[in-house]
Parts: sequence; structure tokens; C-alpha cells
Amino acid sequence: MEPKIVGFTCNWCTYGGADTAGTARLQYPPNVRLIRIMCSGRVNASLIFKAFREGADGVFVGGCHLGDCHYDSGNYKWRRRAELIEDILEEFGIEKERFRFEWISAAEGEKFQKTMQEFTDTLKDLGPLKKFI
Amino acid sequence: MDTKHILARAHDKKIREKGECGGAVTGLFQYMLDENIVDAILALRKGEDIYDGIPTLIDDSDDLLETCGSLHCAPTMFANIISSHLRNMHLGVSVKPCDAMAIKELEKRHQINPRMVYKIGLNCGGTLNPLLARQMIKLFYEIDPDDVIKEEIAKGKFIIELRDGTFKELSIDDLEEEGYGRRANCQRCEIMIPRNADIASGNWGADEGWTFIEINTKRGESLVEGAIQGGYLEAKNAHEKMLVIRDKIEDSMIRMARKFRDKHLRSEYPSVEEWDEQWKRCIKCLACRDACPLCFCEECELEKDYFMEDDNCPPNPLTFQGTRLSHMGFSCINCGQCEDVCPMDIPLSKIYHKIQRKYYRRTRFVPGIDDELPPMYSGEKI
Repeated sequence: MEPKIVGFTCNWCTYGGADTAGTARLQYPPNVRLIRIMCSGRVNASLIFKAFREGADGVFVGGCHLGDCHYDSGNYKWRRRAELIEDILEEFGIEKERFRFEWISAAEGEKFQKTMQEFTDTLKDLGPLKKFI
Repeated sequence: MDTKHILARAHDKKIREKGECGGAVTGLFQYMLDENIVDAILALRKGEDIYDGIPTLIDDSDDLLETCGSLHCAPTMFANIISSHLRNMHLGVSVKPCDAMAIKELEKRHQINPRMVYKIGLNCGGTLNPLLARQMIKLFYEIDPDDVIKEEIAKGKFIIELRDGTFKELSIDDLEEEGYGRRANCQRCEIMIPRNADIASGNWGADEGWTFIEINTKRGESLVEGAIQGGYLEAKNAHEKMLVIRDKIEDSMIRMARKFRDKHLRSEYPSVEEWDEQWKRCIKCLACRDACPLCFCEECELEKDYFMEDDNCPPNPLTFQGTRLSHMGFSCINCGQCEDVCPMDIPLSKIYHKIQRKYYRRTRFVPGIDDELPPMYSGEKI
């Protein structure tokens, strides 16, 4: 079964990075469903948990590099929440490799491609998430 | 200000007799009411029996007598009552350390006005669940629980006084080995002296019939001095030796609490599979959220459409508990109310406390004690 990845990507950086990957024809697996958000700071834990509950095998969040947030400090706020989410997912037995967050700028098409490739491979090894469906 | 230590007792003979260790706290309440320092006092009074503690609002000092005496079997919390119903009153409140922690967190979140509330702290080694206490007394003390007219926890023993004037005592350690004794979250709690209140009062280190008072704030200091000058309290110096005894008792209790914490949250912490079995019983009654002192949102995310499941399905634990954990878990003060009210007996306070401990290890934030909001809410680039 192909893993399903839900990817929250910030409008100014990571979504642009995905676009750059596309423009340069860099191939990456089609498993990720991208959701464009204005800033990684918009992402909160309920979005991540809901994604898992609805059948995602992995959840990815991409934001601007620290210090480069289009809204100044949104990505810092996301980072604090991301750490808490890691702690909570551990309590429910969801493998930590299923939740990944990266800082990818609009120019880093290659990093986006590489990240998606790695993430998909990892999830293929882990298999589908059986809980919470 | 430097903390000050004194011994005190009520001047009023009736209060001194009925109160614990000389009734200094009730004497202070009498001062606060008679001299109009506050509109009312929020305290606990004995209801049907010693297992029944009822929060009560008192505005006439003659009614204070019914709040005298310890009620270890009534683990109520006052913070919600104040933030939901008593915001417009100047209050004096008797607070266990967990009450003081809850009030402090709510003050930080602008749900309680700190200038309207005097926190009169009570040292606390732990409370007991009333139903369990009755069972325990029948089983281990072999007495009809209704014959108990007074209880006390001192020197590691749970002491009961019977109607016929006799006493019986058992070691708390022994009781807890058998699964009785204090509530689980109290066993893990390291905060016995409410230094986050205006004063902290108790009997550790004190002479018989006197209350040991630690004064923590300027407001507390002016209260105590006013009560002494007004003739409501008698006071004397606390010798260095008493402080040493008190510190020793506190240290040994903290060490014991840390051992329990390790046991509950690490060595005997339920596995993921055991938690899954627990979550299957959840009926989403939301009592845990209602009882939690830190949950005050008018519109709760847990009740939104996108979290609704089919009828007759237990709620998804990740979206239900996970969401609540992500909202207030890192501020959890380990008061245990969630676990007390859960109709399905899910050991909730364990997982919330665990998430707070994980957050503490990352950020060193101690809820209810630190003056700042948790770093999670900061606008800074941290």
C-alpha cells in the first residue's frame, strides 16, 4: 500500500520550494498531498492529530528557516508546538518517524525533493498506520 | 521581601479549640471579615461527616467555626469557583498548594484578579478520596466509618478520632502499599508548602497548639501584623530549631514524592497498549475538561464539528485527549480533579502530568509557581 502523506507547507517558503522543484522537473514520489497555509505558525496540534485520524500515514510540515519567517516569528511558535506534538504522539504509540517538520526555503527545490523522497521511503518501511482509523 | 516565620494562634477561645493547631488561619479569617478587609471568606466546611467537605462562602465571622478543622478527605478545588462565580468579590481563600497553583495560573491568564484574592496557604501532605477513605477505615481500622468524628495526618500516620474519644492510627506508607491512602497525584506532588500563597501555615516544627506561619508576600505580612495588632491573633517567635525540623520534614516528603513520581510516571507507567484499553472506555462526557481548573474557554475545540465521531463510537483518543494535552497539558498542575471526576475511572492525571514533565525537561517551566506564562505562549523568537 502506498503511504499517504499530508504536507502542510507555508505559502512563502516551502510551498515555493515545492514549486521550484516542479519548475526544475525534479521528480519526487506523488504520495504527498500538499496543503498550503500562509505560515507554519498557523499549524496547531489538532490539525496534525486530525490528519492521522483521517488516515494519513505520515504528516509533514514545512516552514521558512528560523529568522526568515515572512511574519517574523510564526515559525518559532510552530517549532515550540512541534516539540510538544512529538511528545504527545509518543504517548499514543505513533512512531516518531511519521511526523516530520523541516525548514525549506522557496529556492530549495532540491531539498524539498530529497525530503519527500526520504519521508516516503521511511513510511514505506514502516507500513500503514493501523491505529486510529 | 525575605520570608518571615512566626508561630501564631487565635485569640478567640472557641476558634482556638475547634481549629487546627490553635486555629491561626481561622483567627486570620475572623480579622479579615470583622475589619472588612474582604467581602467574604471562601473555605471548606464539614457537611454530613468528615468525608464531606463543602465549599462555603462566609461573610459573617460567627459562621467561621464550621470551617475549622482539617478535612483531608475532601479534595475540592477553589480556583474554578472563583474564576467562574466570584470575580467581583474581595476574597480570602484557604488554599492547598494545588489551589494556589491553579489560582496563580488563572491570574496569569487574566481569569482572576490577583488584587482581589488573599491566598491563605495550608501546608498539605495530600488528600484522600472520600469513598476510598471510608472503605479503608472499614478494612484496615475495622471501624464503622460513621463513628469517625475527626481525622489528621501527622508524622506519616493517618490518625482518626472516634465518637467515644479514642484514637486509632496507621502508617500512610502501609496503607498506600495496599492501594489506599492518599490520592495518586498527591503521592507524586512535591509542593507541600504553598510558598506561592500570601502565607503558608501548618504544624511542622510548631509547638503543640500553635500554627507555624511562613509569610511570603507583603500583603501576607500586613494581614498577619494587622491581625496581631487587632487582637485576633497571638504570636511568638519561631526558633531556628523549629525551622530546621520543618525543613527536614519537607525534604523527606519531597524525596518520597519523587520516588512515587518515578514509579507512577516511569517504572509503573501504563504501556501504550494498556492506555488503548483505557481509552476504549472514554465516553466523551467532558467532565475532565469541566473539572480542570485550567480549562476555561467559552468555546471549546473539543466540541467542534470536525471532532464529532459516529454515535456509539468512543471518541478518537488522539484527537480528543491529544488536543486537550496540546492545549493545557504543559501547564498541568497535577491537581488530579480530572481523574477524580472521570466516570470510567481512567487514570487521566498520569498522562497530563507526564506531558507536563516532558515540557519541564525541555523548558524548565513549573506551572503554578513560575511568575511567567509558559514559554509556549511567548511572542519572542525562542
